[in-house]
Amino acid sequence: MAKTILIVDDSASVRQVVGLTLRGAGYEVVAAEDGRDALSKLDGRKLHLVISDVNMPNMDGISFVREMKTRPAYKFTPVIMLTTEGSEAKKRDGQAAGAKAWVVKPFLPAQMLDAVSKLILP
Amino acid sequence: MSLDLGDALQTFFAESRSLLEDMETGLLRLESVPDDAEAINAVFRAAHTIKGSAGLFGLDDIVAFTHKAENVLDRVRNNELDMNEDLVGLLLGCQDHIGRLLDLASDEEELDPDTRQLGKALTARLRASLGESAASLPVELESPVEKLEASKGSNDTWHISLRFTRGVFKNGMDPLSFLRYLGTLGDIVHLATLDDALPTAAEFDAESCYLGFEIQLRSDADKARIENVFEFVRDDCQLRILPPGSRVSDYAELIESLPENSVRLGDILVACGAVTQRELEESLALQACQNARQVPQQALGEILVQRKAVQPELVDAALSKQKDARQKQAQESRFIRVHADKLDSLINLVGELVIAGAGVGLMAARNKDGAMIEAVSGMARLVEDIRDNAMRLRMVEIGETFNRFRRVVRDVSKEIGKDIDLEINGADTELDKTVVEKIGDPLTHLVRNALDHGIESADVRRARGKPVKGTLQLNAYHESGGIVIEVIDDGGGLNRQRILDKARDKGLIQDGANLPDRDVWNLIFEPGFSTVEQVSNLSGRGVGMDVVRRNIEALRGSVEIDSREGEGSTFRIRLPLTMAIIDGFLMGVGDIHYVVPLDMVLECVEMNGSGAEVGCDYLNLRGEVLPLLHVKKHFKLDGRAARRENIVVVNAAGRKAGLVVDELKGEFQAVIKPMGKLFEQIRGISGSTILGSGEVALVLDVPVLQDEAARLDALAVAV
Amino acid sequence: MELSSESRDNRLCLHARGEMTIYHAAALAPQLLEALAQSEAVEIDLSGVSELDASGVQLLMLMKREAGAAGKPLTLSGHSPVVLEVFELLGLGGWFGDPQVLSAHAETRRPA
Repeated sequence: MAKTILIVDDSASVRQVVGLTLRGAGYEVVAAEDGRDALSKLDGRKLHLVISDVNMPNMDGISFVREMKTRPAYKFTPVIMLTTEGSEAKKRDGQAAGAKAWVVKPFLPAQMLDAVSKLILP
Repeated sequence: MSLDLGDALQTFFAESRSLLEDMETGLLRLESVPDDAEAINAVFRAAHTIKGSAGLFGLDDIVAFTHKAENVLDRVRNNELDMNEDLVGLLLGCQDHIGRLLDLASDEEELDPDTRQLGKALTARLRASLGESAASLPVELESPVEKLEASKGSNDTWHISLRFTRGVFKNGMDPLSFLRYLGTLGDIVHLATLDDALPTAAEFDAESCYLGFEIQLRSDADKARIENVFEFVRDDCQLRILPPGSRVSDYAELIESLPENSVRLGDILVACGAVTQRELEESLALQACQNARQVPQQALGEILVQRKAVQPELVDAALSKQKDARQKQAQESRFIRVHADKLDSLINLVGELVIAGAGVGLMAARNKDGAMIEAVSGMARLVEDIRDNAMRLRMVEIGETFNRFRRVVRDVSKEIGKDIDLEINGADTELDKTVVEKIGDPLTHLVRNALDHGIESADVRRARGKPVKGTLQLNAYHESGGIVIEVIDDGGGLNRQRILDKARDKGLIQDGANLPDRDVWNLIFEPGFSTVEQVSNLSGRGVGMDVVRRNIEALRGSVEIDSREGEGSTFRIRLPLTMAIIDGFLMGVGDIHYVVPLDMVLECVEMNGSGAEVGCDYLNLRGEVLPLLHVKKHFKLDGRAARRENIVVVNAAGRKAGLVVDELKGEFQAVIKPMGKLFEQIRGISGSTILGSGEVALVLDVPVLQDEAARLDALAVAV
Repeated sequence: MELSSESRDNRLCLHARGEMTIYHAAALAPQLLEALAQSEAVEIDLSGVSELDASGVQLLMLMKREAGAAGKPLTLSGHSPVVLEVFELLGLGGWFGDPQVLSAHAETRRPA
């Protein structure tokens, strides 16, 4: 059974490319455009990985992960945070919220796929 | 892996352009309110997102350049750098440059030397703006990786020691996934799972990890790559890597540094084939001996994965201020983005539906079936509503287009050293998206023209007793089924005599011709006309105004000028709301059907009827004299004059006229199709439409007919 | 994760069905340990295991060791493909596969 990944990013092109890349590699992909939208996708479905941007409207990535980790069904779901250089404070908040994996933006599709496959294989 | 990123790339370009607009809006706001945190954040976000997305597509030029701008913005955001007018100017330049890079990328063109040079210049200025503190810029977080000099040999087997911390599961990490990934780097020759840390059942916590692994990996990967496999768990594991060809003493040190019992580890290493039993024993003995003599042990630390010290950083104070901006964005997210093609195809279908509906209505009327006619008219109302709603989907506010001119006004007034304010009214006026797209260029030209030629220099203004600061207005409003866009300046106005002189020089008018103001102003739209002798690099080289008029006419619009010497000029553009479907008024001349937009029709008068005095070429309508346009004569149609002729009084762009036709056929929804290439030169016809009966009706271009009539008039006078 | 049990001639057979992962580890561990305490011999049927992660593996390893310490035989049976893959990756096939309880040291060595 294919593994399901939730991608949360307010940039449509990022969602599109990451979605294409991951689907091409054999994952199932669910997309959300911000933290709030992403929370609505946590409806009990099995998620094997969450990839989330940090800086987003409505609800940022760190608040989203913090909220996600309080839900039993997603307590142990691994998270890859998308970040830019120079946001150590954000990174610390993220680590505290339970996001240990960070991928630096900008990244190439292959780099994203590489990072994902460290955590789950399709 | 090959991916078709074409669609995504288009999304990226559209997204980036709209982000650039946000960036510009933010920067212009910062020019007046330099510490507006919301605007700073918006600008930063725009640069940030563009950079992030560009990286996905490997658009390295954009990434590299945007990155530098983003650095500066980041510092501003953290209150480490002050926003000021110079910096805004520089960042506006950067925004333009990013736009250019995007254009090049979307045209799949290489960076030309000029652009490259400009990029370098901007980069240098960005660096300069960071001043001394450039060294403390946020740097790449890539951990510095030591290259361990692996001793050359046929042996390419690495030894990896892994101990996971208790908390690794809670962070969502499964150690097995890293081992699986490690297997993709080479061949896992041997893997031993250590359960030594596993406590008794009573102390066992099922959500803590107690496992460790000793791994022999045959791989030609370098150490950095192997370390990188575990980058997401570098806080959650102890990792030791021995490169191929490590000496036995290295293994001995490894064993010493690991928590498990030495003998047991030794067994494991021997089992792995990393060392032989004899080598191990000798080496351990040697090390024990060294320890006894207090020789400091060689640190294995250098092959530990480096952990980065977290640098203290200021808490993002701007976070709370972002809140308002986010609420605004929340509202925006109620919109959905739809591909314009989909809308076009919907509107096309609605157009067909209108035609089909008209066909049904015609049949019902022909059959004189009362119930049917009623049903059809009910349906027609619905179709009309659907049409209106569908058209509204394409409507966008003109505000976005107007806002672009804030930048133009700012830049141009700086460049030519005038102080000019821009006033915008009616930004929420809606019009068809295609019209909005196409009106941008002519509007830009008119605005630049007003800035450059219209508004006087400060000295002249002072001398004339006017406020030193000039004002340019952009207005938009609806008027009789169309939209009016005005560009108004409070400058010197057009100089009637100069225009006349020039027109005579160019042979555009004859000597002694006495033209009303309106016609004089229109002369500046003639090809090759320029009112100012000294041509600046802004409003072009006199090639613009005729193009402006052509572009507007191509949109079935018109442009007119009001001007008063010393007080300023108004350029008034009238455009139809939409280009696809209109409420029309159907008329017959001989066998041919003609349509005019219904909003132009004022009234219909019977030729030779009461209340109107009709001359050969004019109509006296209750004391008002209007020119008459004989449609039949204009299009040189054969056939006798109809027994009864009618006059349709129309008002186009403020000019009234009477159209002489045979038959009045009433209102009609016309789906306008452009004329084919072959016929587009015909003056007086702007399009065609298909009637319910399948016959074709031609859409009259009333303003052109009026011009034609006026010209014939003038000729008649001249002769 | 579902755990059902049946007694078969003096032996308790536990059928594990579903995901043997960290999401269920906290609930599964006491059930397994309790079952072991209550019986003389335990067989865990892994044919229904659809997912197995490190937490599941270490739970099985704990069971094996506890059983050995109590002198009770513990066998794993019906390894599903998922289980086989993990055992293969971790070199645990021999470790569990041996029906006799040996010292942990020797077991970690993989049979040639």
